Amino acid sequence: MSPRLLALWLKETIALTRDKHGLLALFIMPTIFILVMTMALRDAFTPGVTIDVSYSVVDLDQTPISKALVKRLNRVAAFKKIEGDNDLGSARNQLLQGKQSLVLVLPKEFGNRLLTPGGTDGKPAEPLSLLIDPALSPTLQLAFRNQVMAALGAVRADELTVKAGKLFGLPVAPGATLEKDWPDEIHSEAVRGNTNAKIPSSVQQNVPAWLIFAMFFVVIPVSSIFIIERQQGTLQRLRAMGVPFHLVLAGKLLPFFIVNQVQAALMVLVGMYLVPQFGSEALELPSSLPLLLNWWAVSSTVSLAAVSWALLIASIAKTSEQATIVGGVGNILMGAVGGIMVPKFIMPASMQKIAALSPMAWGLEGFHTVMLRHGSFADILPSLTQLLVFAVASLLAAIWLNQRALAAQS
Amino acid sequence: MLNIDGVSYRYRDATTPSLQNVSLNIPPAGVYGLLGPNGAGKTTLISVLAGLLTVTDGLITLDGIPLAEVRSKNPRAFALVPQDYAFYPMLTVAENLRFFGGVLGLGGTELKSQSESAIAFARLEQVVGKRAEQLSGGLRRRLNLAIGLLGKPQLLLLDEPTVGVDPQSRHFLLDSIAALPAAGTTVIYTSHYMEEIEAICQKIAIVDQGQVLAEGTLSDILRSPEPLLEIGLEQQLPVGIAQRYSATHIGEQKYRLILPSTATLQNLLDELASAGCSVRNLSLGQHDLEQVFMRFTNRSLRD
Repeated sequence: MSPRLLALWLKETIALTRDKHGLLALFIMPTIFILVMTMALRDAFTPGVTIDVSYSVVDLDQTPISKALVKRLNRVAAFKKIEGDNDLGSARNQLLQGKQSLVLVLPKEFGNRLLTPGGTDGKPAEPLSLLIDPALSPTLQLAFRNQVMAALGAVRADELTVKAGKLFGLPVAPGATLEKDWPDEIHSEAVRGNTNAKIPSSVQQNVPAWLIFAMFFVVIPVSSIFIIERQQGTLQRLRAMGVPFHLVLAGKLLPFFIVNQVQAALMVLVGMYLVPQFGSEALELPSSLPLLLNWWAVSSTVSLAAVSWALLIASIAKTSEQATIVGGVGNILMGAVGGIMVPKFIMPASMQKIAALSPMAWGLEGFHTVMLRHGSFADILPSLTQLLVFAVASLLAAIWLNQRALAAQS
Repeated sequence: MLNIDGVSYRYRDATTPSLQNVSLNIPPAGVYGLLGPNGAGKTTLISVLAGLLTVTDGLITLDGIPLAEVRSKNPRAFALVPQDYAFYPMLTVAENLRFFGGVLGLGGTELKSQSESAIAFARLEQVVGKRAEQLSGGLRRRLNLAIGLLGKPQLLLLDEPTVGVDPQSRHFLLDSIAALPAAGTTVIYTSHYMEEIEAICQKIAIVDQGQVLAEGTLSDILRSPEPLLEIGLEQQLPVGIAQRYSATHIGEQKYRLILPSTATLQNLLDELASAGCSVRNLSLGQHDLEQVFMRFTNRSLRD
């Protein structure tokens, strides 16, 4: 071990521990983000959870078929049902007052005409009406329409089955009425390696996402120390002492790598023990050693990319303020497009293509491959390679910028 | 002996060179002063000696060995104490010394003893546990100097080491620096304060616009072949005489003139009599460094 490198590591570690604001940004910020975002996005990651949008049904038909549709819709709809007085006028008023967002109106003769296509008996088909609060998002409107259509299709199929059975003289099983209880048709399972598991919770998405974001925030303490060194002539003094610039960079890599790994351990603990205290699921780490090693490999390469990026920013910036702005805004942009702040699957296809350019997205993909899909080392290799190439390119750029600055001086 | 022979240096994009054919002979175990105004080329020469800049013309040798070779054989042979507080404000005095000692490759008892020596030399005992950012300007200068002493350098390069300190700290620093040659250290000291150079340097070079204007011991430089005359008149000094004798106005009808030789004093007095000027008093004096500098450059050190 080179005593010079050891001295540089020790100095960097002491300097870092005295940078209270930097440490606050590195440890407190991601903890808060994980807690807040896990709570905020909990429902978005839980299939079948009720959406906080209410609807009521005005059943003007009041037949067994219309009642079956209402019951079925009630079972499958992810929306909140409000029991109204089955009066169209009062339902409209509720809508206008913002007390509910959707009103489904089942017309008279709905049950009788369920299996009669419009025009076949000389009468036009009377459609179901959906009254909508204009402020409701079009996506939610569409989701509700689809659920009504699905329930309608199922009720129609049941009715057809019963009628066909009667037609062919088939026995009808006891309890096979339109109002029977229906099981869940779809059971969701996330695919992990060779096994299936339940769908990941928001904590499993958010912990790695905000961990990556926090790791990249080493740009603040890295650049703050680096700029002090440059402005006060300390780098020049080190050069006069025969310390090459790449050794100065190496002196910063290990301490900040360790800081990143401490961040990783802390954020995992937050996910496992603190998040459940706020009513969310606990973070689950893979239990096998190879998967844990894969997890650490992703964490390590994210760290190398983050520290190298920070060193590049510190080499470009002339003042701490510049570094904070360039590094901070750069991180926020990388996080925004990289699926940290907004999950990638919510983004439109064009944005998802841009997301693929963000190093944070590469890291998140790596973590998801290990944590959610229980992927092998070969599966995470593309993410690791992207991150390592980014780290090496950033370091080389930092060294080149330093050489260019020296050449400009001389 | 450090020999600087015909060294020139021009910064990229600069219109004029910062060093032009500089040649100096710096004897060992002494304090050598580089005197010149801001921008004279002192820091450039120090940077060249510290290995921060590479010259294209000229040769620098230490005891006959090229500088780069000396540096590669013994990286601790040279130490630079820059103008800036080149240390870590968030580290304590002791931590800074430990760090820079470690960077020089010192370790164990050697690092401990050299740190202690540097602390004692710079009288930093009372503040070893204090963070550098909490020190006064004078104590920071002392820490800057103490770091330079780690590794027991053969050649210590001090670039304006007293800038911005109070008079008491300045005296302490000057006394400390003056004591360094006793341990065999050669000190190169740059300043634009002539009183500092006069106080501690055995040999001096006057530098301006990248050129060495004069080099020698302090007495050599002050001993001028052109005597200095201070003269008080009853009338204004006529312009023609003032120009011929490079006169400067130093008081009410009092002037300082440079005579080409003592023999020309009678000529001057005759000229004054012819111009109708009565002499109140006159005295022959010795130049100080400021005057010597003005004689070479026609401008003040403070310009």
